[in-house]
Amino acid sequence: MSPYILEADALRKDFGGFSAVAGVNLRIQRGTIHALIGPNGAGKSTVFNLLTKFLQPTGGTITYNGQDITRLRPAAVARLGIVRSFQISAVFSHMTVRDNLRVALQRRLGTSFHFWRDSAGLDVLDGRAEQLIAAVGLQDAIDVIAAELSYGRRRALEIATTLALDPELLLLDEPMAGLGREDIGTISDLIRQVGERYTVLMVEHNLSVVSALSNRITVMARGQVLAEGSYAEVSANPDVRSAYMGAAHA
Amino acid sequence: MPDFLHVLPPAPVLFGQLLIGLINGSFYAMLSLGLAVIFGLLNIVNFAHGAQYMLGALCAYVLLTAFGIGYWPALVIAPVVVAASGIALERILLRHLYQVNHLYGMLLTFGVALVVEGLARQQFSASGNSYATPATLTSAWNLGFMFLPVYRAWVIGGSLAICLLTWFMIERTRLGAQLRAATENPLLTRAFGINVPRLVTVTYGFGVGLAALAGVMAAPVYQVNPQMGSDIIIVVFAVVVIGGMGSIMGAIVSGFGLGIAEGLTKVFYPQASTTVVFIIMAVVLLVRPNGLFGNMAAAQQGHATGGEALVKARTPVARRALLLAALVAGLLAPFAVYPLFLMKVLCFALFASAFNLLLGYGGLLSFGHAAYFGGASYVTAYCVKLLGFDPVLGIVAGVLGAGALGTVCGYLAIRRQGIYFSMITLALAQMVYFLAVQAPFTNNDEGIQGVPRGTLFGLVNLNDPLAMYYFVFACFAIGSLVVYRAINSPFGNVLRSIRENEARATSLGYFTERYKLLAFVLSTMIAGLAGSLDALVFQLASLTNVHWTMSGHAVLMTILGGVGTISGPLVGAFIVAGMENYLAHLGSWVTVIHGGIFIVCVMVFRRGIVGETAQLVLAWSKASRPPVDVGRFRRRFQ
Repeated sequence: MSPYILEADALRKDFGGFSAVAGVNLRIQRGTIHALIGPNGAGKSTVFNLLTKFLQPTGGTITYNGQDITRLRPAAVARLGIVRSFQISAVFSHMTVRDNLRVALQRRLGTSFHFWRDSAGLDVLDGRAEQLIAAVGLQDAIDVIAAELSYGRRRALEIATTLALDPELLLLDEPMAGLGREDIGTISDLIRQVGERYTVLMVEHNLSVVSALSNRITVMARGQVLAEGSYAEVSANPDVRSAYMGAAHA
Repeated sequence: MPDFLHVLPPAPVLFGQLLIGLINGSFYAMLSLGLAVIFGLLNIVNFAHGAQYMLGALCAYVLLTAFGIGYWPALVIAPVVVAASGIALERILLRHLYQVNHLYGMLLTFGVALVVEGLARQQFSASGNSYATPATLTSAWNLGFMFLPVYRAWVIGGSLAICLLTWFMIERTRLGAQLRAATENPLLTRAFGINVPRLVTVTYGFGVGLAALAGVMAAPVYQVNPQMGSDIIIVVFAVVVIGGMGSIMGAIVSGFGLGIAEGLTKVFYPQASTTVVFIIMAVVLLVRPNGLFGNMAAAQQGHATGGEALVKARTPVARRALLLAALVAGLLAPFAVYPLFLMKVLCFALFASAFNLLLGYGGLLSFGHAAYFGGASYVTAYCVKLLGFDPVLGIVAGVLGAGALGTVCGYLAIRRQGIYFSMITLALAQMVYFLAVQAPFTNNDEGIQGVPRGTLFGLVNLNDPLAMYYFVFACFAIGSLVVYRAINSPFGNVLRSIRENEARATSLGYFTERYKLLAFVLSTMIAGLAGSLDALVFQLASLTNVHWTMSGHAVLMTILGGVGTISGPLVGAFIVAGMENYLAHLGSWVTVIHGGIFIVCVMVFRRGIVGETAQLVLAWSKASRPPVDVGRFRRRFQ
């Protein structure tokens, strides 16, 4: 088995005449926390959307566990075990924490088209749901409407629903965006725990989080890969330093 | 002469129809241009656009008949007057809706359109008033192969010039640059010291004025009548779906192009001339779901919509008690109220529940549910009267027919989101309406009359009003049960999550379009059940049931009663059916009242009667109890 869970080869995406992603090669090693960093407009989020198929690549291939997934639809990719989060925390705002988890868990029951059944049949999922809720520290909020949670706790809920799918690869899009200092600590711990069991690829701006969490870092600039390596290697790279205009020491 | 030329029509016919096509195209282009400009900046689909076009024509007509002011001054005065009314509308009402879901803007302007059209019908005869072609343009040019009336040449040339001028203004001038900047990022543009709210007002006024100008130009071509706006606006919606609203040029090109396509169809296959635009729309949706000129950015996600104000009864006991009370009330009702009226209420309520299933729980605003309601009533009427089906089989046929139609239309409509979904459903329903007008078995204006109610299972004679009532009540109960179950099922749970956040549901591995399609088909089948019952109750299937106003009824009843509430549609149906029965002598004022209700609901009463009541109960219980069961209440809107 290849040590790489996900490989992108010569990936590109053009918007009109503009190449947001211009030939990116990316290999994610199984069992690592891999960070994708770079200045604004480097194409990180586009790469993310390409990998999860929310955008169709203009060229290149994406291989997941040896399978070519370049032409799959986003939901199909999710079913293979690549689950993403979003920059703006993606929870089902007007549903309770428990119902958020149920939605994530119920797909595997195979009853999601059953409109003639009582939703009480989903009660069997509650054990697992409560377990996941507790794992992210939301046990006191189980019947609270998601919109009433603080931003950091919504993030935690999002991670719980992601884990509910039992994914192999988690793609986290700026998990620290909009979080306060305390929440950053909590979510960092959570990601570290998750990283022990799953492979994680994250886009993140907070370099101290990146340096603390990730085993491997890919730096992007202007739609291309600028450097790749450990935090120490990458931060010593003069190209990276100039791309960040001296901010890489953060 | 080669053989194939025989199939070609004579040149004058061909060019004559092409000319009419170009004329229609001129108006499509001007109207869709205005829609696109307004949508770009306000993010609102201006449903009143047709009414404002009609107002322009009417204004010119009044100027001429009452004040003796001719065409050329009217060409300036009428657009200015109508634009001023548009500016007032934007200042007083529309601007309060920019922060809420875009569908509310559509609903508000729909209400405005109803008010305007109703008032116009009340004031002027529904039949056409002709407006003389200005004397300077009455002659015709002989082009050798045909005569070209000068006025028509002016309409085509004038509207083309106006369209290009608008394009130039938006793409090449300073004001246009400000407009484009504000469309892109209103906050940032404001930070640059540009008065965006004023720009918004001016833009809306301009778009409305453009519609009115088209109306004045149309006055000598068509008959000036109160319906001319609603007739054209639905076609223009289809044009906009085809062209995409992201591009000014797209609106112009597709407007003229579709007018020509319509003209050519009239020559070669006249039966399809009313539906060809809708057929082209369907094809475009299949091949290029984002429209011919649409881009990814313009096809962004529609917001999650609707929402529930569902206050669940606290305990199963309370819920059962409520249900039992409703059941008893339903069983005793015909002894207190005229059964025929009750049956109408039940049919309407079921129809509104079907619509509510889609909007309240799926976030999908269908403006075309009349197609399924009316379609099913035709199928049932036909099967029962002409094929001798028994009533139950007739209803089954109607429901399946509506479901089949719903599958096709739903498959097309779910390819687009938000307001586009609404426009597509409306356009497809209009196509069904035109098919119903043309199909031989529907008997056009007369409809299928004298539909026998028959005997239920060969035992119960349904001509007895009481027996019929209980039959309808049973069907209503079954239909409501299906809706209730669907909402509270594993499927309903997923559907709700898609309404809340479609991208996230996708990333959880759900093929969201399949769920939306299932919800759509279920909804159309329930609407079909309502329509089938309606045909049996009133022993009639007519064009009224497939007309867009019937779709408007479904929206009205649901909004009035409360979107996303179980009992809201029933409450709304009671009021709307009551108005129709007891206010019928008021004529077009009923339309005005309907429009007024839309406006009031959208502006101050978004939860509807049931939702607002529930909110009061909730506020009261929050005040008097510890807030333990907050989580049991589902809130709408942030």
